[in-house]
Amino acid sequence: MITIEKLSGFGANTAEGLARCCGSEALYLKLVNMVPDEEAFGRLSRAIGENDRDAAFEAVHALKGVLGNLSLTPMYDVASRLTELLRSRSETDCEPMLVELLKKRDELRELCAG
Amino acid sequence: MKQFIQTNRNRRRVLVVDDELINRELLSAILSPRYEVVQAENGAEAWELLTTSEQPFSLVMLDLFMPVMSGFELLEKRRESEEARAVPVIVMTSDKSAEVKSIRMGAADFISKPYHLPDVILARCERIIELNEDKSIIRYTERDALTELYSKEYFSEYIRRLRPDLKGDVDAAVLYIEHFGMLNELFGRAEGDRILRETAGLITRIIISSSGIACRTDGNSFRIYRRHCDNWEELVERVQTELSSLSPSKGLRLRAGVYQSVDPELDTESCFDRAKAACDRIKGNYGRNTEFYNRELHELEMHRQRLIGDIDEAIENGDLRVFYQPKYRISGERPVLCSAEALVRWQHPRLGMISPGEFIPLFEKNGLIGKIDGCVWREAAAQVGKWKEKYGFTLPVSVNVSRVDIFDHSLECKLCSLLESFGLKPGDLMLEITESAYSDNAERLISLVGSLRSCGFPIEMDDFGSGYSSLNMLTTIPIDILKLDMSFIRSMMLDKKSLRLVELILDIAKFLGVPTVAEGVETEEQLLTLKKMGCEIIQGYYFSPPVPAERFSEFIEKEIMQST
Repeated sequence: MITIEKLSGFGANTAEGLARCCGSEALYLKLVNMVPDEEAFGRLSRAIGENDRDAAFEAVHALKGVLGNLSLTPMYDVASRLTELLRSRSETDCEPMLVELLKKRDELRELCAG
Repeated sequence: MKQFIQTNRNRRRVLVVDDELINRELLSAILSPRYEVVQAENGAEAWELLTTSEQPFSLVMLDLFMPVMSGFELLEKRRESEEARAVPVIVMTSDKSAEVKSIRMGAADFISKPYHLPDVILARCERIIELNEDKSIIRYTERDALTELYSKEYFSEYIRRLRPDLKGDVDAAVLYIEHFGMLNELFGRAEGDRILRETAGLITRIIISSSGIACRTDGNSFRIYRRHCDNWEELVERVQTELSSLSPSKGLRLRAGVYQSVDPELDTESCFDRAKAACDRIKGNYGRNTEFYNRELHELEMHRQRLIGDIDEAIENGDLRVFYQPKYRISGERPVLCSAEALVRWQHPRLGMISPGEFIPLFEKNGLIGKIDGCVWREAAAQVGKWKEKYGFTLPVSVNVSRVDIFDHSLECKLCSLLESFGLKPGDLMLEITESAYSDNAERLISLVGSLRSCGFPIEMDDFGSGYSSLNMLTTIPIDILKLDMSFIRSMMLDKKSLRLVELILDIAKFLGVPTVAEGVETEEQLLTLKKMGCEIIQGYYFSPPVPAERFSEFIEKEIMQST
């Protein structure tokens, strides 16, 4: 079961996230719990694998919004960097950032499950 | 009133459009303490909701990047529809460059992602909703220049906005000044206008303490929308009394219909339709000023609407069946079958047999009776043809010609072509025209009867004595048969005056050389009394109720046997 303490340990700005959820811990944790199963992660991995940068941009842009709203800072930062990279249409390899993002996601999943 | 709207914001509807469930849930949590939140996953779903939802939305919170239909596409599409344009949009984006573009495309504001704190979001939503409502109310001309009540359009818009916030019971009422046209004619338009202004003033007094609003709709009718109250009769009576004292005409009368505790799900226009239905119910009833829409009226109205909706199907499927009631000539030694009256019955597939007393007046009122008549005429003519062929015997059948048919200028043509289709002579089809048609338009009736008779159709004057018939009519309209209204037959055995009246009518008919038919004869006593007074033809349960054609054949067969 995830807790505010564990989330803070993860690096999330829980004070901000909680405030956005009108101070409701239950709502905040419920929404955070939904993050690891976000289907945009799958869409993002597929798009990067297929080198479909438009689809990848859409997926990471969507993730960035969600992660930002829940103040999951370590993930939000990676998603933001990846969004800007894809937006800039540079040829830089996206793979390392994707791996980083998925690693953070798996960490969060463990926190949620543990 | 305005204040009233602002302090009760919680039931306004906000549409949250975002493909991310987490975002939708988060926004819903932020907005739902104050608004009813509806969610959509993409622009297409939002469009569907915006254009088909019965309850209006006060605001759309729109994400820009979504599959199926993006926020930009929705903003673009929104320009097509006035309805959709009326709802303001706040765009949610993390993209600075998209902010300006969305404002240019008609968005009212933007909120950046990650979201601000809940209070900020709520305050911005509230401000946009308020700005938009003020703007849309100002769009309508607010007042009726004559009475200074709200204009109808403004009134409707106001209620549309107000309704989601009204807590507790609300009543919708219509108020109607009767004989207003006459008042204008007799005392001049200026006087009529003065009465309208006075009425508006009195109505304002009724609503002022109840957060109600009122408007004038067309000419001499008013609408009121206010908190529920139980003393409508008293209120209307008070307006009536004051108005009578102000008016030069003694005949000025108010009529009010009230739909109390309106169904919150029902649209405003239908609420006032119900109030009007109640109001129409007391038309001509001078003992009552106020009528309420109640369960009984509701069911009656639903039933009527259903019948009106089903009539075409009934005609198509042959659910309207023609029954025949025999008429016997009683002047000889034994009663002789001389003709029949075709009467319509409705065998409804779901409601069962519907009495003609139920549907005929309804269709007479809305004019659809013409369709039914045409159908009965055809069926009856076909039947006369069949009997002619089967028995070599012509039994004339009379059919009803309704008041609306009288104004049908192709009536003669229609009837003649029916005869032709079934190989009949004009005398084979007799036409029953109700006496009350004379008072509608005597001139048209006289010329029509003349023309139908010259085609050879015998004309029966139906329901004679039931309305305000003048004896003069009998001399101005050339008729062939007089049908005594059945109410006479019922009452003549009970009181002497009625009996004497029947005797008089029969004498007049004899004097004019017109045979009489007595309808509704049920007993032998009635039959003998009528016979003694010189009535020649009898129709009624004494001989037989109306029966289907197959069963009627038995009467013909019996008659043929007896006459040979």
